[in-house]
Amino acid sequence: MAAANMQDIKRRIKSVNSTEHITSAMKLVSASKLRKAKATFERTTEYFHYITESIAEIANSSSDIPERYLLGNREIVNTCYIIVTSCKGLCGGFNSNVIKEAEPLLRNDSQKPIIVAVGSKGKEYFEKRGYEIYSDYLAPPENISFLETREISKPIIDMYNSGEIDEVVLIYTSFVSSMEQAVKVERLLPFEIDNDPEVMKIEKQVDYEPSVEEVFNYLVPKYVEIKVYGAVVESATCEHAARRTAMENATDNAREMLSNLSLFYNRARQAAITNEIIEIVAGSEAQD
Amino acid sequence: MAKSVQLEVITPEKLFYKGEIELVIVRTLTGDEGFMANHAWACKLLDIGEMWIREKGKEEFRIAALANGYIDVKDSIIIYTDAAEWQEEIDAGRAAEKKAAMEAWLNQNLAGEADPNEIARAKISIAKQATRMNVAAGGARRKR
Repeated sequence: MAAANMQDIKRRIKSVNSTEHITSAMKLVSASKLRKAKATFERTTEYFHYITESIAEIANSSSDIPERYLLGNREIVNTCYIIVTSCKGLCGGFNSNVIKEAEPLLRNDSQKPIIVAVGSKGKEYFEKRGYEIYSDYLAPPENISFLETREISKPIIDMYNSGEIDEVVLIYTSFVSSMEQAVKVERLLPFEIDNDPEVMKIEKQVDYEPSVEEVFNYLVPKYVEIKVYGAVVESATCEHAARRTAMENATDNAREMLSNLSLFYNRARQAAITNEIIEIVAGSEAQD
Repeated sequence: MAKSVQLEVITPEKLFYKGEIELVIVRTLTGDEGFMANHAWACKLLDIGEMWIREKGKEEFRIAALANGYIDVKDSIIIYTDAAEWQEEIDAGRAAEKKAAMEAWLNQNLAGEADPNEIARAKISIAKQATRMNVAAGGARRKR
C-alpha cells in the first residue's frame, strides 16, 4: 500500500515538474515579447497628442467646422462597440476583464449594438451569447501594422458618416505598469471638444489648405484610425504583461506544490522504511 | 546661410525624422510647396509624393517617399504621414513589380464590375509605387 502511494506521488511530482518547466518558459517568452511590445507602444503614444492638439486647435479657432463629428449635434441611437481582446488564453483575467466591462454596456443598449471584435476571445464570447458581430480582426496583434488597423476603422468611419451609427465606443485594456492593467472605455466619436478658454487661442492667422473643413474631415477619421491602432498596440502590451504575471503565479504555485509533494513523498518513504524495520524487528523477536 | 527650423516627421509607428532643416518641400493637395523658417502658419493636407529636405548647413537634399498626411507649420514644422521611407530604404525592383502587377489587375478589372473601392485602392497603390520608384531613382525633380 505504501509503495503504491509512493508511486502515485512520484508520478504527480513528475507531471507538476514538467508543468513548471512549461510555465516558466512561457513566462520568459512573454517577458521578452512584453519588452518588444512596450517599445512599440511607447513610440506610438508619444505622438498621439499632435493629432488631438491639431483638432482642438482647429475647433477652437474656427467656426465653420463640420458639426457631424462634434458631440451634441445628433441624437445617439446606434452605437458601435470596438472590443479589443486577445487571441490566446493563459493570460489570467485579461480577456474576462474586458468582457466584464463590455457586457453591461451591450446589454443596456436599447438598440442592437454593432460589435467590432478585435481578437478572437471577445468574438467567441459574444457570438456564443447571441450578439451579432459586425466585423472582426483575428490575427495576432503583436505585429499588426497601421495599414491593417485601417481595415478595421475604415468601415466604422464610413458607417458613421452615412448615419448608420451615431457613436463609436472603444473598449480596451490600457497599460498602467507591467504589474497593472486597467480596462478603459472611451468614446471616439462624436468628438467632445471642451471649449477650454485655457487652451491658447491662436493669435496668428493659420492658412488651411484646401479648406478648414477638409483638413478637419481628414483629421477626425485619422484620429479614429490612430486611436484604434494605439488601442491594439496597447492591448497587446497588456496581454503580454498579463500573461507574464499569470505565468509567474503558475510557476510559483507549481514550485509550492512540488515542495509539498516531495514532503509527502519523503514521509511515505519514511513510513515504508519504518514499517519494514518493525516487521524485521518483530520477526527476529519472534525467533528468540 | 538660410535660417533653420525644426522639422518632425511622424508616422503612426515611429518618429521618422527629427532635426534642424533649412528647407522642406512636400506635395500638398494643391501642388508642391516648400517651407522654410518663419513661414506663415499653415495646416495643409498632403498628397502621395516626395519629401525633399535640406538639413542645416548641408548642400544636398535628402529624399523620402510620403503617403498622404498633413503638414502643420508653426514655430516648428510637424509632418504627420501614414507611411514614410527614405530613398535608401526603398527596394525599387519590388516597387516596380508591384506597380506592374497592380496595373495589370487594373486593366483587367476596369471594364468589369470590380468593387469601386478595390479600384480606388489599386490606383492609390500605383501612385505610391510610382513615387517610391521616383524617389529611389533620385527624385522626379532630379538633382543638378
